[in-house]
Amino acid sequence: MNAKTFVITSGKGGVGKTTTTANVGCALAMLGHQVALVDADVGLRNLDLVLGLEKRIVYDLVDLIEDRCQPRQALIRDKRVDGLFLLPASQTKDKESVTEEQMRDVMRKLAAEFDVVLIDCPAGIEHGFRNAVAGADEAIVVTTPEVSAIRDADRILGMLGGRRARLIINRVRLEMVKTGDMLSVDDVKDILGREVIGVVPDDEEIIDTTNRGEPVVLDAGRRLARVYTAIARRVLGEDAPLPSLEDDGIWNRLRRLIGSKA
Amino acid sequence: MKEIEAREQPSSAGAEQASDGAAPVSKAALGRAIVVTSGKGGVGKTTTTANLGTALADAGKRVAVVDADVGLRNLDVVLGLENRVHRHLLDVIEKQCVLDEALVRDRVRRTLFLLPAAQNREKDDVPEAAMAALVRTLQERFDFVLIDCPAGIEQGFRNAVIGAQEAIVVTTPEVSAVRDADRVIGLLPPEMSVSLIVNRVRPALVKKGTMMSVEDVNNILRLALIGVVPDEKEIIIATNRGTPVIDIDGSETGAAFRRIARRILGESVEIPTFAVNAGLMARIMSTLGIARS
Amino acid sequence: MSRRSCLPDGPVQIKGTKSGLLLHLYERPLADSVLELRSRLSATPDFYKGTRAVLLLGSAPAEPPELAAVVATLEQFGIVADGAVCDSDAVATLARSAGLRLVAASVAAAPRSRDDRTGPPVRSGPGRSQPQRNGQPSAADAQSVRFHKGTLRSGQSISAIGSIVVLGDVNAGAELVATGDIVVWGALRGVAHAGAQGDESAAVYALHLEPMQLRIARSIAIAPPHEKRAKHATAEVARIREGKISIERA
Repeated sequence: MNAKTFVITSGKGGVGKTTTTANVGCALAMLGHQVALVDADVGLRNLDLVLGLEKRIVYDLVDLIEDRCQPRQALIRDKRVDGLFLLPASQTKDKESVTEEQMRDVMRKLAAEFDVVLIDCPAGIEHGFRNAVAGADEAIVVTTPEVSAIRDADRILGMLGGRRARLIINRVRLEMVKTGDMLSVDDVKDILGREVIGVVPDDEEIIDTTNRGEPVVLDAGRRLARVYTAIARRVLGEDAPLPSLEDDGIWNRLRRLIGSKA
Repeated sequence: MKEIEAREQPSSAGAEQASDGAAPVSKAALGRAIVVTSGKGGVGKTTTTANLGTALADAGKRVAVVDADVGLRNLDVVLGLENRVHRHLLDVIEKQCVLDEALVRDRVRRTLFLLPAAQNREKDDVPEAAMAALVRTLQERFDFVLIDCPAGIEQGFRNAVIGAQEAIVVTTPEVSAVRDADRVIGLLPPEMSVSLIVNRVRPALVKKGTMMSVEDVNNILRLALIGVVPDEKEIIIATNRGTPVIDIDGSETGAAFRRIARRILGESVEIPTFAVNAGLMARIMSTLGIARS
Repeated sequence: MSRRSCLPDGPVQIKGTKSGLLLHLYERPLADSVLELRSRLSATPDFYKGTRAVLLLGSAPAEPPELAAVVATLEQFGIVADGAVCDSDAVATLARSAGLRLVAASVAAAPRSRDDRTGPPVRSGPGRSQPQRNGQPSAADAQSVRFHKGTLRSGQSISAIGSIVVLGDVNAGAELVATGDIVVWGALRGVAHAGAQGDESAAVYALHLEPMQLRIARSIAIAPPHEKRAKHATAEVARIREGKISIERA
């Protein structure tokens, strides 16, 4: 088991790194892999919330780095999905408690025990960002089709130390693309110049699922579950097709219902 | 001497210079320095700073908005001023230029000025004491200094907070955002006066029970509430175009920011409850353009 | 993953943290640790003078004289060993009998009584009693109450020898650790650890008990998932009853 470690980053906050980490991680585990999710946002931890595991935290990343516990004590096993584990961040410490060398060390140890390691990166380009990237082999950059996010993603692409970086475009609103009020996937690809491994449509259900700590991927019937599963396959290098945003019948029916211009 | 020269000659790049819109005020009338912060990224700090700054300028105030997000600047884009940025905050601190050369005047509001962040530097480059001194200088010249804080709680956050006496915490009604806001509040100096804006409220979802209400949020955060801003797709359009959303006709979001500006100026303005009735429900759905699967 | 792979080479690891030293003594014969410690500390005999240390003992069995030798060796260099993190009951008993208080791993790392917003950190100094050698807090300690007024925010923590009283809420992401009782005159939404040195009679009181986690002595209780407990009109208290943490009306 020598895992590839991926850092899920963006630069701009709020574009969906944590939600992506949680859902892609779940999807990978549901595909049968041993997955470790690492929350590198020391002091502002959220991955535990999005996964609904916050009540089970006893030890965290900083405890592990300072050798106060063993990895098996800090890793929380998700009871819903076999093979999915979370290494939570500390809430009471700050990012300066961790060095890049320490992160690399811990990630190396995790990589020896898992198939895939996903690192949820904090927003920004400061110490926390550098720590998260230090522990990773590759990067997955999450952006939304929106000027500020793209600008920040572009900046981030230049700070990944030559690591391979692929894109996920989040919160795409198809009808806004059609009216010219939002950049298209191709526009984003042109500007950032990287392979796109996922396009995630905007869906109000995400808010509910993140609030309840139930990753949407757990409900196989949901459209977003299919989207994230395809992304998971592509993360591992499979050539899975990106589900078209157009194909959803309900989507089209509803748009007709509320009479938006097609 | 340098400062007067800068006022009289436009720089070679054609950027507009500060003139009587930002004349120094007497020491007695020091402007208010307010940091706009959140902890969580993407909840609307920059949009809030831009729109409040614009609304306050519309009310006749002299306003400086400061982009403290060194390395990931966005305030200039939201205000549609990115093509006019030549010098920035770090240049001023490092004495590469005077303040007036860096301040960018808004195209529409003549009393609104932007102090841009540097794009190619990192936050560790800015010493806290220098930030505090810069904000103080701005307070001597403007009625309001609004500081757009970066996401997080690292040095960038500390730099943004250091010069301010007041804080506006922005959050959305989501568990992660509220948790991060709470963390940030705990890191602000105890003597700072702190108020709350709850952004991206969707009354339909609150009614459905899938979104926290403003009351739920403030039961945890326990701050003085100065604004509730509803969610609209107009925000995205406005940001992409570099127009403040308060300039978009019929925007509820814009109206909310105007009300917040009035509250900041001391007016007592009621926070409307965004009631959801059948007709409004359909309108909201079409405004948000979101499908429910 | 074996323990050994986590630890660096050499029998003993000395780590400095904000609250003192952490000494890793996992799985090693304590007699060896004594020799190693003596030789390392002799190199710079005054360097650690006056610091406190927490010993990480793991679960390897040992004899009382061996542990006493470790403590005495440290004392020779001005290091006060006052706590131990133990992974088994046998080792915990051993530690207690050597005069070490039992420390949860999270407490070992927490800066003592750090409280970001509301006052200077409470340090051990003149006027504050030290824990007695028999491992139990002194009578004076047991009576001391750390009082906090206002909401305790996410990421803030209070650790105290004695009891803690908070006049306000304790939000999710905040932590309270007390050797004695904990009283929250508000909503307890964070993590509260009462009886942190092992006192199983300690209790946690709150006007609204909605914690992320409750810990009393060495027991941990987690609220059932997604349970939205109805707002109880009365205050509640959590205690250990028959070996488990249970909640009653206060």
